[in-house]
Amino acid sequence: MNLLSRTLLAVVLPLAGGALLAACSDDEPTGPSTAVSTELIDTVLRTSSNDVILATYTDLNLRAGELKTAVDALKAAPGTTTLEAARQAWRNARRPWEQSEGFLFGPVDEQGIDPSIDDWPVNYVDLDNVMASSATLTKEYVDDLETTLKGFHTIEYLLFGNNSTKTVNDFTPRQFEYLVAVTESFKAKTTQLYSAWSPTGQNFADTIAQAGASFNTRYTSRSQALQELVNGMAGICNEVANGKIADPFTLEDRTKEESQFSNNSNTDFADNIRSVQNIYLGTYNGAGTGRGLGAIVALRNPTLDTRLRAEISAAIAAIQNMTPSFGTAIISNKGAVEAAQNAILTVKLSLEKDVLPLVQSL
Amino acid sequence: MPLLSRIRSQVALLAVLPLAALAACGETASPPPATVDDPALSGGELTVSDITSNAFSTPAPNLGGTSLEKHNAGDAAFEATFVTRPAIVNGGLGPVYNHTSCIGCHARDGRGRPPAAGERSSSLLVRVSMPGVGAQGEPTPVPGFGGQLQDRAIVGTSAEGLVAIDWTEEAGSFADGTPYSLRRPTVRIASPYIPLPGGMMTSARIAPPVFGLGLLEAVPLTVLSMLADEGDRDGDGISGRLNVVWDSRAGREEVGRFGWKANTATLLEQCAAAYNQDMGITSPIFPMESCHGQEQAGPPDSLPDLDAATLDAVAHYVATLGVPARRAVGDPVAQRGERLFAEAGCGGCHIATLRTGSAAIPELSNQTIHPYTDLLLHDMGEGLADNRPDYRASGREWRTTPLWGIGLTHVVNGHTFFLHDGRARSILEAVLWHGGEAERSRERFRTMHREDRAALLRFLESL
Repeated sequence: MNLLSRTLLAVVLPLAGGALLAACSDDEPTGPSTAVSTELIDTVLRTSSNDVILATYTDLNLRAGELKTAVDALKAAPGTTTLEAARQAWRNARRPWEQSEGFLFGPVDEQGIDPSIDDWPVNYVDLDNVMASSATLTKEYVDDLETTLKGFHTIEYLLFGNNSTKTVNDFTPRQFEYLVAVTESFKAKTTQLYSAWSPTGQNFADTIAQAGASFNTRYTSRSQALQELVNGMAGICNEVANGKIADPFTLEDRTKEESQFSNNSNTDFADNIRSVQNIYLGTYNGAGTGRGLGAIVALRNPTLDTRLRAEISAAIAAIQNMTPSFGTAIISNKGAVEAAQNAILTVKLSLEKDVLPLVQSL
Repeated sequence: MPLLSRIRSQVALLAVLPLAALAACGETASPPPATVDDPALSGGELTVSDITSNAFSTPAPNLGGTSLEKHNAGDAAFEATFVTRPAIVNGGLGPVYNHTSCIGCHARDGRGRPPAAGERSSSLLVRVSMPGVGAQGEPTPVPGFGGQLQDRAIVGTSAEGLVAIDWTEEAGSFADGTPYSLRRPTVRIASPYIPLPGGMMTSARIAPPVFGLGLLEAVPLTVLSMLADEGDRDGDGISGRLNVVWDSRAGREEVGRFGWKANTATLLEQCAAAYNQDMGITSPIFPMESCHGQEQAGPPDSLPDLDAATLDAVAHYVATLGVPARRAVGDPVAQRGERLFAEAGCGGCHIATLRTGSAAIPELSNQTIHPYTDLLLHDMGEGLADNRPDYRASGREWRTTPLWGIGLTHVVNGHTFFLHDGRARSILEAVLWHGGEAERSRERFRTMHREDRAALLRFLESL
């Protein structure tokens, strides 16, 4: 799904009287509070932009290449093995993308990459008309098409069919051609995203890592960059709990489920919260300095840090607990779905009410 | 009685009363004292404190329960991506359109931009018309194209054409000799699906930000009328005037205040028109496709694509987005810039403070706001003219753009393109394009010392 943070942050700072009204939960001890050095903030910003964000996009780009390879192999030799390999390659590429949705700001948004990769729903009528047309299905042709005819969900639809019922015999040659073209177009987008952040490309990583530097007209303070990170994290929590889960759940309607063809929602949502966890812990797939946002929180409010780590883990567990799968749980396991929403919203609240004022004060 | 005459007589009545009271005390007439207000609270109680890319996307903090729910419902609708019908989810796109979602052009509820070289336009559209006016005073639609060029189409249908922009640099210099360069666009329509009629007028428009709109709608008409000075009776060189436009929903003339030329009277109509023209989504207010009568039109649908409740929620959403707080209020350089802004006469159109009246959405009522606009039309000179009249707005006139939030454009949208077609690559360039009624103020700026120019820009960036 094309996500944009819909954070419900609404912190008003009444400056009359100079009082800073930060909505902290004052009802528990914070533990000893230590000053945060600019060196630590710089380390956290560098870790976030390089060890987490750029690493995530690097992995996404790699997996997109593997997806393309798997689809080429499927077209060359259609069979149950190559089909399952292509499906697994889709799932593998999905993971770093979903783990990037905790930081959907910057180039992924401004360069229109997010909609190209993840727009939803699929435009079935236009897709059918493309298949029925005599157009030559190249990457360039797909590049010119609307976002709802490419990206994850179009590829998912073609590979899995409705509710994963599609067999290799259901494919037409034209569909194979389209899959090849659309995955090539997809790979170009993940490359573009990687380049946008990479030091060898447009180096947006530096725009975050060097927040507050005199040349930086976009993030004029370190605190501003930290706030951007926190808002991204709170935003994905809001999106998952109040959008991706809520929309199908409230209506008991699987047609509103994003990854309905592959039945992949539990993994998607868990990875969305892992995105939050990665920024917080300063690692991606276990690698990185480990000095994430949590390192700052731990110094200023050790109790909050301990609590938030647990809340994030609990949210991931609660998502995995929506058994047998999200699409079925919205009908037959509603308690688990509500519990997952609440666990995610708990993280969102901690980020908005406790972490945001903390970084605003730096 | 024609609309403007009605307004003038109401204003005259209001103006007489306080003057009479003061005259009785032997004092000279002066405006009532402004309510004590915080200059950082640009949106009054609807101000949000956010300096990240979410600065324009946050619900106002004072929304009550059902209002916030409606805001969130409108938010979801604003982000919905439309597809070709029939579709279970979000059907009705096109047949011709500019984008598939509101958020596609109004990214992060912020400002669009012109396309880069070789890039397809994605948040700039082109209005078109033939000379003359239609039955309700509207710009005459172009046969085969209507009032707007839709540059995309559903598969199997032809888009109306493509937008191509050529840029010409124009050099100038400040009084102190520092050079600058402005870029002037020439808009072409490439690959039209049928030949373009001779004499067709075009006007490129980037998507404006969509926060704070409810507050602007809630400024009483009488306030705008008092700010208007069509005949420049006070001799300050500024002659703002109201646009009077046809309101489809009301079925009569109303004062316009939304859009680059203030050609739309209400937010609801603005949203409905955008759905229809920009995405090909029909609604109860505009039940006919934007391309009806053209070859792209398919069989008519019995029901509108969008229902009244969703349309209402979207209008509510943009009405209740929070306004980002002003930054650096205590910064002495910005404060000096604020004084220079007033001294140069910029505040004559970019009105710093307005007060809303009673509004249908109660959270918008009686707010003291700092939008830096009078919502009036002004002649901005030959340089900025699009030569395409729009109701009472001439080819040289533009509505004063609100300045609130402009300093956050970079962090929200990753660019700093301003003015109706995004020609200005910075706030500085936007100021330098000011002409016509603003010529005097522009010259004051152009002849300022470098440090004063920097202070004025610092002030503008704090908004």
